[in-house]
Amino acid sequence: MASGVGVNSACLEEFTNLKLRKKTDNGEILKYIVYNLNKDNTEIVVEKTSASGDYEEFLGDLPEGECRWAVYDFEFQKEGGIRNKLCFFMWSPDKAKIKQKMLFASSKDALRRALVGIAVEVQGTDIDEVAYESVLEKASKGN
Amino acid sequence: MVNYGGDEVSALVLDIGSSSTRAGYAGDDTPKAIIPTSYGAITSPDGDVQMSDSDGNPTAEKRKVYIGHSGPSLWRANMEIHNPIADGLIQDFNPIPALIRHAFEDTMRCSPSEHPVLVTEPAWNTPANREKMAEIMFEEFQVPAFYIANTGVLNTFAAGKGSALVIDVGQTMASVIPVVDGFVLRKGLAYSGLPQLVYAQARHILTNPTQARPAIDLTPHQLIFNKQPVELNALPIYTLREDRAAATTPSWRSWAENKEVEEWVQSVAGVLDQGWNDQSAAMRPPKQYEFPTGYSTWFGAERLTVGEQFFWHSPQLMNSPGAPRIIPSLISDSLRACEPELRQVLMGNVVLTGGGSLFTGFADRLANEMMRTFPHTKIHAPGNPIERRYGGWLGGSILASLGTFHQLWISKEEWQEHGSAIVGQRCK
Repeated sequence: MASGVGVNSACLEEFTNLKLRKKTDNGEILKYIVYNLNKDNTEIVVEKTSASGDYEEFLGDLPEGECRWAVYDFEFQKEGGIRNKLCFFMWSPDKAKIKQKMLFASSKDALRRALVGIAVEVQGTDIDEVAYESVLEKASKGN
Repeated sequence: MVNYGGDEVSALVLDIGSSSTRAGYAGDDTPKAIIPTSYGAITSPDGDVQMSDSDGNPTAEKRKVYIGHSGPSLWRANMEIHNPIADGLIQDFNPIPALIRHAFEDTMRCSPSEHPVLVTEPAWNTPANREKMAEIMFEEFQVPAFYIANTGVLNTFAAGKGSALVIDVGQTMASVIPVVDGFVLRKGLAYSGLPQLVYAQARHILTNPTQARPAIDLTPHQLIFNKQPVELNALPIYTLREDRAAATTPSWRSWAENKEVEEWVQSVAGVLDQGWNDQSAAMRPPKQYEFPTGYSTWFGAERLTVGEQFFWHSPQLMNSPGAPRIIPSLISDSLRACEPELRQVLMGNVVLTGGGSLFTGFADRLANEMMRTFPHTKIHAPGNPIERRYGGWLGGSILASLGTFHQLWISKEEWQEHGSAIVGQRCK
């Protein structure tokens, strides 16, 4: 069951840039992308792209009372080496309106299927579930 | 009528539960029509009685059917009470068109032939049942478009989740439904008729004497001619409507008495949040309740034994083969059937829904029970009773109101071209 909401082509383009570490026009490498629905709730669009490595800044881009999706290039240490994993976030805080929750949950699949190469998926309803430590725990599992 | 980009499709949403049938406009936050699913029927011995307007069943020519708020709850001579739902599924489709007609046409005053209709179904619905529902909608009601959506998935989405363990406690069924990425994991589906046992137990408590009080008379108000106010705990003084005694059917009497039990349960019964303990049960404040006969008393610890049935059964009952599984057993059976990696995701996203879960103390007790085995459990239980009681309807209402959802409806043309097979293909 799905909402039938479409995915704007820019969503995939930015994701590919992030995945392939392609330099942006400013010479930066993307760290994360935040996705939102457009005003008419018909299409998933890119809300923000950022090269900031500050995880707290990323969390600041997840609004307290509204849903979002995001992809974060998560970097961590394991067995002495640096690893990278692409994390997909479904951000749906308890405070969000039920209509928005329904919309985002039923549209997620369309976006998620378009993004190939995601290693970790995080479903977050409060800030604890998306905190650095929680994501680190998920990311460091497996290889 | 249908508008693509915006959210104006003016669809109707229908949710048939075992206790009530909910119908309303997509986009609304509460159903417009909430009518009992049970209905009354009088079978006349001779064929002269004219057929009721709302009776769509040609084989029941001698049968008059009463549906809605003035249906089963009004006393009528020789009226029997029936319910088309058994184990959460529609077992008897004969009264269904009349029920739908009553909800849409008589209560909402709208014509389903002018609106797309989204119907909800329980997670364990059968393909034959959903196709039958599609057939009724397209053939009887001539709807322009139809969709059937799973309440487990709707509740998951309405909680803002793609994956969740839905715990749905209704009037007759309790179910645990693992939903992963918007699909019900069929092998992990667990359900039982537990609420029926809880109500039977509540009735047993009331109709048996205790040291503190006599057995309680559940005579419904429809059969009481008059009554006098009496002191607390005093025996009731009332006169029965003798004129009605002979023509009261056993099924009506039992339906009405069960209503009394339900009301008592809803206003008085509860459950201890930390498991049964005589001391803490005795410390809870007693609650007063007055029955239709005029008898009123305080209910102490016994009101808390009712809810205990959801979570704990005596070993004797647990081992008897026909006994419905309790909530903790349903949860563990469901999780056992799921892959170990999934269990953590599911337990971290538990969604509690259904009118039966509004029981005082239910959510706290559930959380405590689950924490014991899974310390990372997180329960999402909407505090708003409307969201809890009509979660499935509400999810359907939002989904059906989306302009983009339009492409998923099964249109009448598609139905005519592909027949019933399209229901299974489109509504996954």
